[in-house]
Amino acid sequence: MTLPNIGALFKGMSVTLREMFSPPVTYQYPEVRRPVAPRFHGRHELKRHDNGLEKCIGCSLCAAACPSDAIYVEPAEQTDAERYSPGERYAARYEINLLRCIFCGFCEEACPTGAIILEHNYELSYYDRRSAIITREQLLVPPPAPDKDTPRAMRDPGNLYAAIPPVKGGVE
Amino acid sequence: MPTVTIDNLRVDVPNGTLVVEAAKKAGNVIPVFCYHPKLAPVGMCRMCLVEIGTPRRGKDGQIEKDASGNAVIAWMPKLQTACTTFVSEGMAVRTDSAAVADARRGVVEFLLTSHPLDCPVCDKGGECPLQNVTMEYGPGNSRFPVELKFQNEKRVPLGDLIMLDRERCIQCARCIRFQDEIAGDSVLGFNARGRGMEIVAFGDPPFNSKFSGNTIDICPVGALTSRDFRLSARVWEVNDAPSICAHCSVGCNIFIGERDHQIKRIVPRENEAVNEIWICDKGRFAHHFATAPDRLTTPMLRDEDGWRAVSWFDAFATITTRFNEIKSQFGANALGGIAGDRVPNEDLYLFQKFFREIISSPHLDHRVGWSAANAGADLIKQFGVGTETNLGVLDKNVAVLVIGADVEEEQPVLRLRLSASAQRGAHLIVANPRVTKLAAHAKQSIVYNIGSEAYFLIGMLFVIAGETLEKTESVTNWDAFKKSLESFTVEQCAEICRVKPEKIRDAARAFAHAPDALILFGREAMQTMQRDAAVESLIAALMLVTGHIGKKNNGVIAFYPHNNSTGALDMGILPDYAAGRVVARAKGFSAADLANAKTKALWVMGADPAAHGKFSKPNFLVVSELFMTETAKLADIVLPAQSFAERDGTFTNTERRVQLFRAAIKPRGDVKPDWWAIQEMAKRLQSFNVSELQSLTLKHWNYETCSQITDEIAARVPLYAGITYDKLAENVKQPRAPYGQGNPSDTPTEIAMGELEGTTSGIAWKSIAESDAGAKFELEWREPRQHASRSDSRQQIRLAVARSLYDRGTMMSKTSILQPRVPIPAIEINSLDAEELGIENAARVRVSFESRALEMIAHVDGHVPPGTVLIAQNLDGTANLPMGAPVKVEKI
Repeated sequence: MTLPNIGALFKGMSVTLREMFSPPVTYQYPEVRRPVAPRFHGRHELKRHDNGLEKCIGCSLCAAACPSDAIYVEPAEQTDAERYSPGERYAARYEINLLRCIFCGFCEEACPTGAIILEHNYELSYYDRRSAIITREQLLVPPPAPDKDTPRAMRDPGNLYAAIPPVKGGVE
Repeated sequence: MPTVTIDNLRVDVPNGTLVVEAAKKAGNVIPVFCYHPKLAPVGMCRMCLVEIGTPRRGKDGQIEKDASGNAVIAWMPKLQTACTTFVSEGMAVRTDSAAVADARRGVVEFLLTSHPLDCPVCDKGGECPLQNVTMEYGPGNSRFPVELKFQNEKRVPLGDLIMLDRERCIQCARCIRFQDEIAGDSVLGFNARGRGMEIVAFGDPPFNSKFSGNTIDICPVGALTSRDFRLSARVWEVNDAPSICAHCSVGCNIFIGERDHQIKRIVPRENEAVNEIWICDKGRFAHHFATAPDRLTTPMLRDEDGWRAVSWFDAFATITTRFNEIKSQFGANALGGIAGDRVPNEDLYLFQKFFREIISSPHLDHRVGWSAANAGADLIKQFGVGTETNLGVLDKNVAVLVIGADVEEEQPVLRLRLSASAQRGAHLIVANPRVTKLAAHAKQSIVYNIGSEAYFLIGMLFVIAGETLEKTESVTNWDAFKKSLESFTVEQCAEICRVKPEKIRDAARAFAHAPDALILFGREAMQTMQRDAAVESLIAALMLVTGHIGKKNNGVIAFYPHNNSTGALDMGILPDYAAGRVVARAKGFSAADLANAKTKALWVMGADPAAHGKFSKPNFLVVSELFMTETAKLADIVLPAQSFAERDGTFTNTERRVQLFRAAIKPRGDVKPDWWAIQEMAKRLQSFNVSELQSLTLKHWNYETCSQITDEIAARVPLYAGITYDKLAENVKQPRAPYGQGNPSDTPTEIAMGELEGTTSGIAWKSIAESDAGAKFELEWREPRQHASRSDSRQQIRLAVARSLYDRGTMMSKTSILQPRVPIPAIEINSLDAEELGIENAARVRVSFESRALEMIAHVDGHVPPGTVLIAQNLDGTANLPMGAPVKVEKI
């Protein structure tokens, strides 16, 4: 009767034994999340300026660029009495249908003010289709300080250019 | 016809054509900003710079030829503006050379240095000539530091309707030139010089013109924007649906711009025969009634507790029961219908078919409110203006007599076209009881005594007879008629009219000598026609004896108030006429009687008799309406109707042109078109009145679409033969009418911008004179109504009632942006009368007439003759004014 090849068995098991004591590469999701690349295309966010004004001016260029018609924009007029964004125009309604969105980033490329940015959130699940349509309030980043929320009355009425904070040495 | 060579392409154009037009005809589009085909060229923007050369002539005056026999071209040393240069024989133009490309790039670059980076927020983006020209001819990169860009005011209101952005303005002056040349209201101008040159609006209120909205269309950048539409959508998101304006009876072609089934804006649709490329401000801005939140959306039934919403099924059941009850108790003759003249032709046709063939009742009328004064239907049928008439191209061969009409308030765009025709040499005679805006552009302005139209016309006819200017080919009884004329003299008529006899003579001669002539009559003339049967027959006589009938640019036009007034007359919504303007078999009650409950059941569709005088509710009242109007509040059942924006249909304009309009937005709530409601009732009342007519028509009550009704009208109404849905929907190529723009030659130029495509121009029906070239007519003589002599009327001041374009009607009241434009009620009074009564300008006065007294401001000016005062109807408190009533005016 031949003996079983114990040497090969130990050779294979040694791989197992060696790996058993080395740290696992598994990320323990959801407690630990794997970091994504800086330019990762996740859920969108509407950014603000440093003074709290929204960057989005309601121009609908993102909606025009979107290949899947996922963005719906309704612009509206504003004055210094109730200011949302610099200039005379802001997005009164801004909706993205995440079920249509293909996360291509064309909207981010088209945006003239750098308002719509694809951020890193990929945890998007819904119980019904209605919740997949995210609105302006859900998209806007929180204001940098509580007194810098929009809408608010600007203290320098009439001068639209005062609403954009000056940037030294370059174009914002 | 000079031959021009454009980049080696030869093209023949008429004398007086501009190079830019010739190039377009050759297919070469030269970029322009300040040039506009309807405005005189100015050469301000320098965008159209091209190389131009003419054949070189030698010392002997002969054209030099080169080796191959072609003329040697002497190129002008500097680039020339194509928009100001007229073509000449043998001219050569180069648009593809390096110098021209450099010039174009340079001009665009200069324009962009001062132009703000506003494209994302500018309304014009997407339909902006500056954007398009920059993409085609401009530099790729900017060399201009953005911090140094010119800054100026960005939100300058020019009046209530237009917003100006000074940074975007490229100083092309199109807006100023439009206002000066076409609108005739010089309310815009330039201020300052150099880069700081800016547009300013004169007057109070600023930009007070009824055509201010057109400057938004022609502005090549987003400097002028509509305060109603601005910043509410991007133009590529707005769908344009072709439609017809719902207000006056010019029938301007429009596009309804909708997004998400909301009407965002109205823009003009080009139709050279009707409105060219213009619309008035009322048509542009007063569209909010179609989407107003207080529109009726379901049928409403009134019971003891008030109104409750019911389904269409229940509503029809109730109406059926009550109609049958009333018929069994009082007979079929106890039912009647009023359909207003805003309702489309298809619904009107079914309405009268329902009453005449199913119910067998002759009681139908549409003449409620403004339409109560509608007159001249027979005149139009016989001598209506020729079907190929184009009011925009009348020239010195045409005399136009406008009598008793304030064209700007009644048919605004026609005022533009008549002013343009007068500028082009048409002999415009404006005769009115007061001075109107069009009179400033007229060759002759005649102010006659109010109500004396008949005597004015008799005076003209007398002159024509006396100087034997008459043409009697189409007339059978000229001698008898002439005898009746001879009981008057020109001096007598002039005395009654309070006009100089020479003026009547000049007008008559011009009218008779002109190869073509038109008579246009409006509200004031129609009000006289209601009381004086002579006016209509005298207008007919004047047209007949001068031979101005039956061909294009000849005939009569009546200014009816609403967009389908002619359609209501055509479809026979009258007690004595049936569809096709044929005499009805039985004569029914008129609108005044129907409003006095002469019938026991009444169906009121698209009309508001209760708001226009006394209205007694009959036993059973059904109202089909958009809103809960005064009449609807009294009804037993209210059925909601679709507005013009929610459905297809046809309207017939004042030139008898039938035009198609299409649905733009989806219907609100549960509203259904009126023709469907009539059809459903017809199906339920099939055994209402057994008659031989009924058995024929029972098959014809299964319309699924509006176009089927249009086709039935074309088949069964001889007047509308051939006006089928397909023909109306056909895209016809319309050549643009020839114009001369500062053209030094005698021949009109072609606007060589190509032919129009994608427009449906509408089809007009032929008048009797036009369809039968050999027809002979009999001149009717009717004694004109006795007119108070001068001494009598000085003691009694009489009231003239005018129309204001902007009023307090239902359709206007839903548009808040136009409300500041509605005039304050005012009474116009002559300075002689004012002096007697001690009233000065802008004083508050009390006006008493019949049993009413109104307080208003007095305007003392020369617009009304002594013995007459003028109040515009339908403003705050000025409803239902009695025309011609004696009034007492006293200062408060």
